Amino acid sequence: MTGQSLDARAAGRQFRAPFRAYRSMARMALRSLVAYPVSFVFNLLASAFGALAMLYLWRAVLRNGGSAIGFDWAHMKAYLLITFITGSLVSGYTDYQMAFRIRQGDVATDLVRPVDYQRARFAETCGFAVYEAGTAIAVAACAAIAFGGVPVPPLRAWGLFLLSALLVLPLRFGVVYASGLVTFWTQNYVGVQAARIALVTFLSGAFVPLGLLPEWLRLTADVLPFAGMASTPALVYVGHLTGRAAFTAVAAQAAWSVALWVLARAFWQRASRQLTVHGG
Amino acid sequence: MGKPGRPRRRTGLYRAAWLYRRCLGAHLRSTLEYEADFWIMSVTAVITQGIGVIFLWTIFRTIPLINGWKFWDVVLIYSLVVIAEGLSQLFTQGIWNLSWVVNTGGLDPMLIRPYSPVLQVLSSEVGMNGLGNMALGIGLFAAAVSHSGVSWSAWRVALALVLLVSAALVKIGLNLVTSCAAFWLRTTYSMFPFSMHRLGELTRFPLTIYSTAVQLVLSIVLPFAFMSFFPATSVLGHGAPVWVGLLTPAVAAYCLFMGVWIFRLGLRRYESTGHLGRACRVCEAGHLRRPG
Repeated sequence: MTGQSLDARAAGRQFRAPFRAYRSMARMALRSLVAYPVSFVFNLLASAFGALAMLYLWRAVLRNGGSAIGFDWAHMKAYLLITFITGSLVSGYTDYQMAFRIRQGDVATDLVRPVDYQRARFAETCGFAVYEAGTAIAVAACAAIAFGGVPVPPLRAWGLFLLSALLVLPLRFGVVYASGLVTFWTQNYVGVQAARIALVTFLSGAFVPLGLLPEWLRLTADVLPFAGMASTPALVYVGHLTGRAAFTAVAAQAAWSVALWVLARAFWQRASRQLTVHGG
Repeated sequence: MGKPGRPRRRTGLYRAAWLYRRCLGAHLRSTLEYEADFWIMSVTAVITQGIGVIFLWTIFRTIPLINGWKFWDVVLIYSLVVIAEGLSQLFTQGIWNLSWVVNTGGLDPMLIRPYSPVLQVLSSEVGMNGLGNMALGIGLFAAAVSHSGVSWSAWRVALALVLLVSAALVKIGLNLVTSCAAFWLRTTYSMFPFSMHRLGELTRFPLTIYSTAVQLVLSIVLPFAFMSFFPATSVLGHGAPVWVGLLTPAVAAYCLFMGVWIFRLGLRRYESTGHLGRACRVCEAGHLRRPG
């Protein structure tokens, strides 16, 4: 055995050890939700009521002869249910815990841990997301049945749809993580979170297809990462985004995922210098 | 600071109201120590509700009437929800602390003070987002009313004011009713009342868009519709029989009565710290989770 291969193995171990750490963080995050199902269910119910209001509202609009850029009721249902599922991903556990630990000063412990802060939060987000996606899909399926079924896209569209839906995770994480970091300055998070949820919900097209917005607002949502957080996967699902346009939209999602990751890292460098922990 | 001087003997309702104002005042002063919070919460409220109105406007760009309701009619309904929300945040935001207070034993000191525990809990916080909601809500209400084409006689103005206040009291009563789940649920989170609050937000739109079952839930089981839809129909004079909206003050009284009654039932179960024999959740952030 030469020295070189020993080094390589040591390096390999070093790489694997943190990954194992992230994996177990994701697992713990998942377990923390499973352990308190009552709280989680009510949390989910809260967002389900929002989706329910949208379903009824759009049903009334379409019944009253309103046009929704080529959406009929069946496709509108599908659109709203997909945006409900994507909206329940990264629904606020990550930033809430971050904000709490930053306010309390517990974040100091996170800083000395031998793991990357951002990756650790992303690992937890993935853990939460497994549970969030599972339950949201179950709720959406029930709603779909209660509202008389939704159309299913042809098999060849599924690959791109699933990829697009998966990319919602890093996109939403970028925004949620960055807004959690704002706590370093504001100390208050309830307000920041509420404003963030309202903005993202509206600009991602979760309640109203972006095509119905005034041109300048639609362009803003399309150019910024918002469209990729709900609208893109939902439009791919209902077949309004196909072919080249669909590929471009999904590529934009991927590009923004990377960009947000880098931007959030730069933001963290600035934010973590703001930390003041009293006592201890 | 005014010197209280020799306190007069205060009794009954007058004493309760006086103490309530004193409690709120103390919490208002402590809240105002954090000036940034005040601005963040006020601006947040305006952003959140403002986006809701932009959403309505977007929908009405595609269609002139939804089940016979014009844009400004729906804005009127919407504004009543915002105002009720604002008033409940300004004056009774403390109710959102109930699950925290109950499940950490924090109710103990309240029980030994010579003042109603319900009123102590209700007055234990001032929600600064209430100001933003009130400002936007009143603006929307005024704009909606001026576009509604209703002729304003003196009695209609009086009716509108009574309904406005009663609608807010419906919201406060229902908040109290749903928050009392704290005595039964083993969590420091206010998740149950929060999800019911979101259910109540369904009444931001005309009730007639919902299925019969949902309409029954919103008008009888948890009568959130009396916070917005029914009072609005009485003011506008269309959409539902006028007399239903006139019931709003009675519904408000009923909701408040139920809230106090269930609170008393809960108090009988209350066993101080370690309530229900189980440790509370580690992450104490839960008691902060409340609607923006």
